[in-house]
Amino acid sequence: MSARFRILAAALFAIAVCAPAVAVAGAAARAGRVADEDASRIEQGKTLFHAKCGYCHLEGGTGTTMLGKRLGKDRALLEDRTDLRADYIKHVVRSGIGSMPRHNRIEVPDSELDLIAAYLTRPASARGAAK
Amino acid sequence: MDLILPLGVSAKSFQQALDAFAGVVGKEWVLSTNEDRDTYLDAFAPGDASSHVASAAVGPQSVEEIQAIVRIANEHKVPLWPISRGKNLGYGGCAPRMSGTVVLDLSRMNRILDVDERFGYCVIEPGVGFFDLYNYLQANKIPLWMSVPANAWGSVAGNALERGYGYTPYGNNTNNICGMEIVLANGELIRTGTGAMANSPCWHLFKYGFGPSWDQVFVQSNYGVVTKMGMWLMPEPEATLGLSMQLPNPDDIGWAIDALRPLRLNGVLTQDPSLGNSIRVVTGQAQRTEFYQGDGAMPDDVLLALLKRYGLGWWGINLRLYGYDEINEVNARLIKEAFAKHTDREFAVSKWHKGEPLDNSGAGVPTVAPLQAVNWRGGRGGHLGFSPVLPSSSEHVLKQFHSTKKRFEEVGLDYFGSFTLSERYVTNVNLMLYDQDDPAMMTKVRALFKVLVEDAQKEGYSEYRTHISYMDEVAHTFNYNNHALLRLNETVKDALDPNGILAPGKQGIWPKALRENRA
Repeated sequence: MSARFRILAAALFAIAVCAPAVAVAGAAARAGRVADEDASRIEQGKTLFHAKCGYCHLEGGTGTTMLGKRLGKDRALLEDRTDLRADYIKHVVRSGIGSMPRHNRIEVPDSELDLIAAYLTRPASARGAAK
Repeated sequence: MDLILPLGVSAKSFQQALDAFAGVVGKEWVLSTNEDRDTYLDAFAPGDASSHVASAAVGPQSVEEIQAIVRIANEHKVPLWPISRGKNLGYGGCAPRMSGTVVLDLSRMNRILDVDERFGYCVIEPGVGFFDLYNYLQANKIPLWMSVPANAWGSVAGNALERGYGYTPYGNNTNNICGMEIVLANGELIRTGTGAMANSPCWHLFKYGFGPSWDQVFVQSNYGVVTKMGMWLMPEPEATLGLSMQLPNPDDIGWAIDALRPLRLNGVLTQDPSLGNSIRVVTGQAQRTEFYQGDGAMPDDVLLALLKRYGLGWWGINLRLYGYDEINEVNARLIKEAFAKHTDREFAVSKWHKGEPLDNSGAGVPTVAPLQAVNWRGGRGGHLGFSPVLPSSSEHVLKQFHSTKKRFEEVGLDYFGSFTLSERYVTNVNLMLYDQDDPAMMTKVRALFKVLVEDAQKEGYSEYRTHISYMDEVAHTFNYNNHALLRLNETVKDALDPNGILAPGKQGIWPKALRENRA
């Protein structure tokens, strides 16, 4: 085996052996990026929720009071709820409910509503950090 | 809601206008689906919300975009209904007076352009909300206080343009306007007061300029689109002193107003206190069914039991003195002496000093908590205010109070009233709380409103502000010399806005081509 061939063979071996590891590392990096993007969306959604919904839906707000009367105190604070669905949140924001007025797409554009819904429906793993 | 075209505008011309609007602001900011139109309905409509349906909405972000939109609207004869943030709840919210009007939604124009601590003013765009300005002042540790209305969800500029009230010495918000920038109906940009000079350092210091003063002409009118507003803010005082008292009897409101009037006139009291019946407090915490499930207005015995439970009197008085401790103490003594002539009760006293948390300071801290009241009757709640202005004396106040309470009870509503005392007059806000899904109740509410307007007119009182559905009725009560003032208003309207594109019908002022629309 010539020296040149040995080097090539070694290189091919290295590629063959290392490729799965590289693929795994790539997938992990992608997953990390997705997780980072999700975290960022949740954080943005939290900021928007506080700025645009917090008037009524934080502690002591009229929305919190009315939800407490309707559904019980344990389901009054939207931030603490784990049973909300994104499509339901969007429907209520655009259609209103009870004495809550509808919100238009200039006040809360669809892109912002997506982020607010992402925050309110965040997975359990994100609940410790973003509240 | 399905599309209702503006009166006299073809579907083709309307679409051309929308396309042209999109060319100015981008497609994203022109809303014209059925769902979009729904979002601009009056959330607290005292009846059929479909009486005031926007055809579309357009959301500019700059003065130049507004100018372009106004010019397009003229070209296509498409009317515009400017809103600041659309939270004029109880007065129509974000809905236009005339169906088919395009809402000019200024929510995106939300920049705080300047806050001048030395001279005590801010310059803001119409989309700036009370919470925005409050947060800005707090974040930047600027010792200036705002005047904030009961429901602070809305726009600072919009509230001042509708003559809204707060509770500090700067509480008459329209009085704090000093220098505005306005896009006229023809697209021309003007600045009022000394802002009309190219380089005046006094635009937001001196209200009047030279010649006619125009700021107030653009308040509660439809002559232009306000794009910037100078607004005076109150320097943070060294201290405040609060005086609270519960008055047990309905007629106590009479002597209380007589006792407070001279103190307000001579400057012992520098804020406009609001004396409200105590159901106002209860509606902020509970719903009616928790106390009473019967028909008709809540009986007196139920009401008295309820007040006892909450430790309230028939009326609640909350006064606040602002300034230096020593002066506040002297003024508090004068107020106590004036009240001691009428009651053995003593004021509860609270004090605040600079540097302490603002809770209970008497500063304007935004909240929307009073909106809770709309849930009083359950269902899809709402409220409508009837708010006449009358002289601040017991004979006027007592007569108006008893007359209004009786009218409320005739239709089965619980009386909810307050008297806000200014130097020489009181503003009597009467809130009708209802369930929009109860058609019988809503029929009674509308009848009540009409009869209250008629009753007030007989006494020579008019509302200071009203819901879009009643603007013609209230404008009609200004009947001196066969409505000469309305003719002047409409002469100005025709001169400034010959195509009638800005807010047709607002405050009962209609452009020439649409006057047959008057109710």
